[in-house]
Amino acid sequence: MQKAYIKTIYNLMKQDKNVILCLSDSGTDYDEMIARELPSQVINFGISENNKVAASAGLASQGKIPFVYTTNAFLAYRSYEFIRDDICLQNRNVKLVGMGSGLSWSTLGPTHHATEDIAVLKALPNLTILSPASPFELEKSILAAYQIDGPVYIRMGMSNEKEIYEDDYSFIVSKNIKITDGDMGTVFVTGSIINELLDTIEMLNKEGISLRVINVHTLKPLDEGNIIEECKNSKIVFSLEEHNIIGGLGSSIADVIATNSIDTKLIKIGLNDTFATGYGTYSEIKRLNGLDKDSIYKIIKDNL
Amino acid sequence: MEDKLKEIRKEIFLTAYSASIAHIASAFSIVEILYTLYKCNILNYDPKNPNSEGRDYFILSKGHGSLALYQVLADVGFFDKSILKTFSKPGSILGGEPCYPYVPGVETSTGSLGHGLSYATGVAKALKLDGKKSKVYCLLGDGECEEGTVWEATMFAVHERLDNLTIIVDCNKIQKMGSLEDVMGIKSYKEYFQAFGCDVCEVNGHDVEELEKCFKQVNNSLKPRVVLANTVKGKGVSIVENNPRWHWKLPNKRELKVFVNELNISDEEIEECKKLI
Repeated sequence: MQKAYIKTIYNLMKQDKNVILCLSDSGTDYDEMIARELPSQVINFGISENNKVAASAGLASQGKIPFVYTTNAFLAYRSYEFIRDDICLQNRNVKLVGMGSGLSWSTLGPTHHATEDIAVLKALPNLTILSPASPFELEKSILAAYQIDGPVYIRMGMSNEKEIYEDDYSFIVSKNIKITDGDMGTVFVTGSIINELLDTIEMLNKEGISLRVINVHTLKPLDEGNIIEECKNSKIVFSLEEHNIIGGLGSSIADVIATNSIDTKLIKIGLNDTFATGYGTYSEIKRLNGLDKDSIYKIIKDNL
Repeated sequence: MEDKLKEIRKEIFLTAYSASIAHIASAFSIVEILYTLYKCNILNYDPKNPNSEGRDYFILSKGHGSLALYQVLADVGFFDKSILKTFSKPGSILGGEPCYPYVPGVETSTGSLGHGLSYATGVAKALKLDGKKSKVYCLLGDGECEEGTVWEATMFAVHERLDNLTIIVDCNKIQKMGSLEDVMGIKSYKEYFQAFGCDVCEVNGHDVEELEKCFKQVNNSLKPRVVLANTVKGKGVSIVENNPRWHWKLPNKRELKVFVNELNISDEEIEECKKLI
């Protein structure tokens, strides 16, 4: 997703000189290239995320559109109060781009994992939360965030995530996208973990089991209408996320089911109130923590 | 001018008294600083058009000094003085900490310490990028300087050569639980700011002439300017001065007499306040 991000942000910066890339020593060679071409639009704040987040509110107050980019965990956790007081409380037009959603910093361990970020951030008023599933969807998320006049958090993978869309498609904030059709239940999924799920679906299809897969790329504001409809039409629904099952997508689905008195069963798949353990490639760490296609297959199969 | 400063302190107290609670000592220590900025042609502003292009920016990072700011903003015409009577009451725009965008003249919400200077550096940087001449002033508490972001922001401001930024520190040397020296071993922040590369100007924070002279000095340094304003926490009422107990407190009956005498408050004014409680 990183390449898609760099390409999209670079084009936006060339189009609109008010778009400012705010780094906290978190850039790559590409950022350095952009900085050489557009020096007044790249600010490296050094290793000081909190200062960067609050300063970005100051930049936004003057009509700038800061894209605040750093490791997802440092942004969501360390800078939470700054996101709350300086950005969300005052509805500043700042885009927070968290690089390394879920377990994608797979070799660095739990300090670098973002597996509780949705839980804490979705409680913040005024904040739109986008969680794109693929590089193409990330591009669309960045462009959509630019169009929104207000704070947006984008949860972005960084492990050569696969593309899931073959053709161009319509991406509308807060409009879920049906990826597969089926008649035995629905799986709501967010982020690039959808790749594991699509492998699982293929395994299930071979056994004659079909499920509807709904890509929830906007975690806030939620597409409640679609979730209500899907839940009403499914005896069982699953949620899948690279996140603690407390406070994430699954909890949001549970809210919708409970507050609309829908008669269905929800199985939440994610980290079971634990920090992820182990090190390895992205695939390996997902397997170690029960978030690979086989583990997902087993949970779905056991509950159908 | 002395009368005017005393009157501001009196109004701060009466506003706090009618709300039953507020940070009066922290407001008392910054009266002269705010008076100088707003009444001695330092800040460029238009009270009838608080968001006017080309204005200078004042950010009260020590948000708990809000009562002093509100008095001065009302005094120069940002809003009607009658609004002060609603302070901290349901429906009021004026809370214990200033909240954006409700209060004309307040640029950002503060209250949690260690935010305002970072915000101010963002404003100053944007002004520089756009080639604008406006200036940014940010007032911090000296206790607040224990927050790490103050130093992250200072480092950034120096590196980015934000010479359009003035960092003012209200050095009253007292925080909630005691003196800065007792709590954190801090005698002065002068060497700290110098070590971060700032030019530091130290003044008597209760001397309007001295403050004015310092603020009016042209900054040719390509650096943010730091003004350490030596003040007395609770300045203006003897029992409040230099006493940490008064950080978040109003007087009892006996103590009230001292306020009444030293701030020239009439019985009618106290009665008026009591009606508002």
